[in-house]
Amino acid sequence: MVAVFISVLVMIFYDLKYSTHRSFLRKIVLETAYPVQEIFSGSIQGIKDAWLRYVLLVGIQEENKKLKSQMNELKANLVAYEESYQEAQRLKKLLSISKKYPYRFVTARVVGREQAALSRTVLINKGAADGLRNGMPVIAYPGLIGRLVDVSWHVSRVLLFIDENSNIDGIIQRNRTQGIVGGAGSRGMILKYISKAQDVQKGDVIVSSGMGGVFPKGWLIGQVIQVDRQSAGLFLKISVAPFTDLSKLEELLVLTSDESTFE
Amino acid sequence: MLYYILLPFLSVLLIVLQSMITDLVFSSRLVFEVSLLVVIYAGFRLDFVRGTYLALVLGFIFDCLSGSVPGVFAWIYTIIFWCSFYISDWLETEKTHVIVLFSFICTFLKQIVIDLFYFLAFDMNVLVSAYSIAFIQSLIIGLLAPLFFYGMDRTGILLYEEKV
Repeated sequence: MVAVFISVLVMIFYDLKYSTHRSFLRKIVLETAYPVQEIFSGSIQGIKDAWLRYVLLVGIQEENKKLKSQMNELKANLVAYEESYQEAQRLKKLLSISKKYPYRFVTARVVGREQAALSRTVLINKGAADGLRNGMPVIAYPGLIGRLVDVSWHVSRVLLFIDENSNIDGIIQRNRTQGIVGGAGSRGMILKYISKAQDVQKGDVIVSSGMGGVFPKGWLIGQVIQVDRQSAGLFLKISVAPFTDLSKLEELLVLTSDESTFE
Repeated sequence: MLYYILLPFLSVLLIVLQSMITDLVFSSRLVFEVSLLVVIYAGFRLDFVRGTYLALVLGFIFDCLSGSVPGVFAWIYTIIFWCSFYISDWLETEKTHVIVLFSFICTFLKQIVIDLFYFLAFDMNVLVSAYSIAFIQSLIIGLLAPLFFYGMDRTGILLYEEKV
């Protein structure tokens, strides 16, 4: 054993002195180790790759979570932008009305609805504090839709034309035939007191007559959708549909100018 | 006889596996030197001739495969085996804390001796940080030693129905 130990020491010093790394035994060991190393490195590399792929997948999962969260945020933003865009479009239409006519308007937002059997009204977020008074005409693009009936300090109630208590003076734009447009609830409106002798056709446009001083003259009210000449009585039975979808009201204009300024 | 014939091949297998694990787990920053644990285990359990042969062969193969100066690891492993062999008469080598402490000291001293050898032979100045790495490495080996010893004992029981 001592001889072996000494021979090892000699080997070390011999190698240090002559710097030979190419001994026969060393070559044998390297040749023996090579196939083993190749087999192991193949399998270890496979494990390493699998591990790295797993780590990568975990990373992807995290990234996926983040992206989903970002996507939800962006979706919310998109909905908000879409909402703002549509609101802008509606306000643009209202603005086009207010620019077209030389009157003073107050813009209001619909904050509530009352769609009971006999009542068709909406609540708006403006009131006496904003200069509103009972009876003021209310407009939604492209024409009149009702008038104020209850005005509080900051909230007002609008009586829509389709309410059965609503009656306004209207004329058929084409032949200037005058009648009363009354509310008919879910059926829309009816044009009353038009004699059977009058020429009224489906599609005729009804505008405000301006009589009574409540509504300015020439504003759109609705369109004739049905004319019944067969009914009993002296007058025609004319059904009128409003131009605006009253179930989708969101922003309105209230005409605050004095009645004296109406043409 | 079979032991003397098979040992070099098994040693190649062990050293290759050891370097692979080191590369895979520690990315070559630490050396997971199971071969040293084998030498210490041999010192505690094997007879003198077999153990010395194992230490020499294992050390020499480690030298060849690691690219160090031929004989350095063979020499150090043999010294460690002899130390383990003689100390096993004095210590209770069945106790866990003895195994942990002895493995830790052997690994750490081995690293210092290697560094010293390279410093004297090639004037290579080893950084202080290398000692902290050697410390961590020794700690890992020390902590894993009882597990390794237990595994080897169990294998011995399975193969020979008694402790090696």
